[in-house]
Amino acid sequence: MSAVLPARPAAPRPAAVLPARPAGRWRVVVGWAVVLGITALTLVPGLGVEVDLGAVARSWRNGADKVVALLQPDWAFFPRTVAPLLETLQMAVIATAVAGAVSLPLSLWAARTTNPNRLLRGAVRAVLNVVRAVPDLLYASVLVAMVGVGALPGVLALVLFDVGIVVKLVSEQLEAADTGAIEAGLAAGGTQSRVNRAVVVPDMMPGFWTQLLYVLELNVRASSVLGLVGAGGMGLLIDAVRSFYRYDQLSLIILEILVVVLVLEAVSSAVRRRLV
Amino acid sequence: MTAPAAVRPSRGGRGVLAGDVALPARPSRLAVRALSAAVVVVVVLAFWSVDIQWGRLSDLPSEVVRYLGLMFAAPEWSKLPEALWQTWRSVAMAWLGTVLGILVATPLSLLAARGHGPAPVRGALRLLFAVIRAVPEIIIAIVILSVTGLTPLTGALALAVNGIGTLGKWGYEAIEGIGPGPVEAVRAAGGSGTQVLRWGVWPQVLPAFGSFWLYRFEINVRSSAVLGLIGVGGIGDMLTSYTQYREWSTVGVLLIVVVVVTVAIDAASGALRRRIMEGARARAVQP
Repeated sequence: MSAVLPARPAAPRPAAVLPARPAGRWRVVVGWAVVLGITALTLVPGLGVEVDLGAVARSWRNGADKVVALLQPDWAFFPRTVAPLLETLQMAVIATAVAGAVSLPLSLWAARTTNPNRLLRGAVRAVLNVVRAVPDLLYASVLVAMVGVGALPGVLALVLFDVGIVVKLVSEQLEAADTGAIEAGLAAGGTQSRVNRAVVVPDMMPGFWTQLLYVLELNVRASSVLGLVGAGGMGLLIDAVRSFYRYDQLSLIILEILVVVLVLEAVSSAVRRRLV
Repeated sequence: MTAPAAVRPSRGGRGVLAGDVALPARPSRLAVRALSAAVVVVVVLAFWSVDIQWGRLSDLPSEVVRYLGLMFAAPEWSKLPEALWQTWRSVAMAWLGTVLGILVATPLSLLAARGHGPAPVRGALRLLFAVIRAVPEIIIAIVILSVTGLTPLTGALALAVNGIGTLGKWGYEAIEGIGPGPVEAVRAAGGSGTQVLRWGVWPQVLPAFGSFWLYRFEINVRSSAVLGLIGVGGIGDMLTSYTQYREWSTVGVLLIVVVVVTVAIDAASGALRRRIMEGARARAVQP
């Protein structure tokens, strides 16, 4: 870049010497071409997502009516939403607590620095990769068939979902941490499990709590829709309101979820600041 | 273990003498204690008040084994072609949702970044991002389907709207975290506001943005399977109907397809993301 600037203001301005363009720009072009190609493929009628603008134009009024209904929440509906909202919160708290208890040992087993056994570590990671690949609502719909309708399948689905996330995040954090203390513990003659208990666990706690708070936020959001498949909480109400096209009541439900999530976010970010 | 502790001076002279080793006074743990007590109370209250018959847990293990047998003992492989076709439709939905989300979120995140957008616009956009992030995408889809009907387009639009919330937030945070050097250089050379964005900001944030886009696509692939529950099409739709018919051998095939496709896309996208971020770092080291 310095070649472009004149050395002295008084000296005659030298011809600007531009640096050579970096090589490998064809890769960028190919990258954009691939992205555009896939996007075009997803828009081909009959093959991907059909974009029928005519239908959108026809039902535009319908949508406008719904938006008007959304803007006028039915406040009289509030008493009926209290119990489902509480159940949503209960499910989120219970699932977070259980997931925390389960994922603490699993995180230690899944991290390279705290579990030298390659086989066991690989097994834990492989199982959790599979667990993480299934969305929470799919767990819920299968679990509803297994244990019946209610909050229990919801809690179980959330626990599965949470353990996948927490173990991944916490074990990555463990692997990124400085290994000095662990080496010192091992050099002093501690076994790996004793070192984990005495050295690693106290050290990982702030990060662990941070992830649990994050998961609690996710749970409140997720458990508000789990009821769509019969797994308790607000979702059951959302399903009823949706099938009667009561968008004014849906609007109140959205507002309540919004308030709860935003309050929780504010509280957890305040707590997180104290933790870290 | 005691030798290093002896060397450390006791803080504030209030150390406790243990033999000849002066330990520093413990910091006040009142706040931590109060917080943990509150956490315990909330958790116990939730367990105590929730309407769950915990007895049903006792037959869960046998039920899990029974259903796993139903699903995976003899999977209905004849449904595989249809499952793959529906998966492609879900992935197409996720892709289109990601692209639309990127197109809207990128300019908005530039406007929401400190130093680039006007203050009132910034505040409004940040509130919008927070609101969108708080609403589950399935509810966004329920609202959108009143206009577009039960089509994959509804799913794509819901994912796009949801993507605006996350991509917008990550975007403005990345823009606010860049080094001020290039921006100042463009400004000093007489660059206008847009030129500062194009030559000072954009090259710096592009690797991070690319990584966010790929990550958002991973999220969308997962969510597109869930959106099928309200009937917008794709693998989720198929899964819901076969669960309702209780055709577990087909559900087993569908779950296998979902897991394999999700893990494969995660792996590919994760490798690409690492390449983008580490490639960028290697380039930044060179003068």
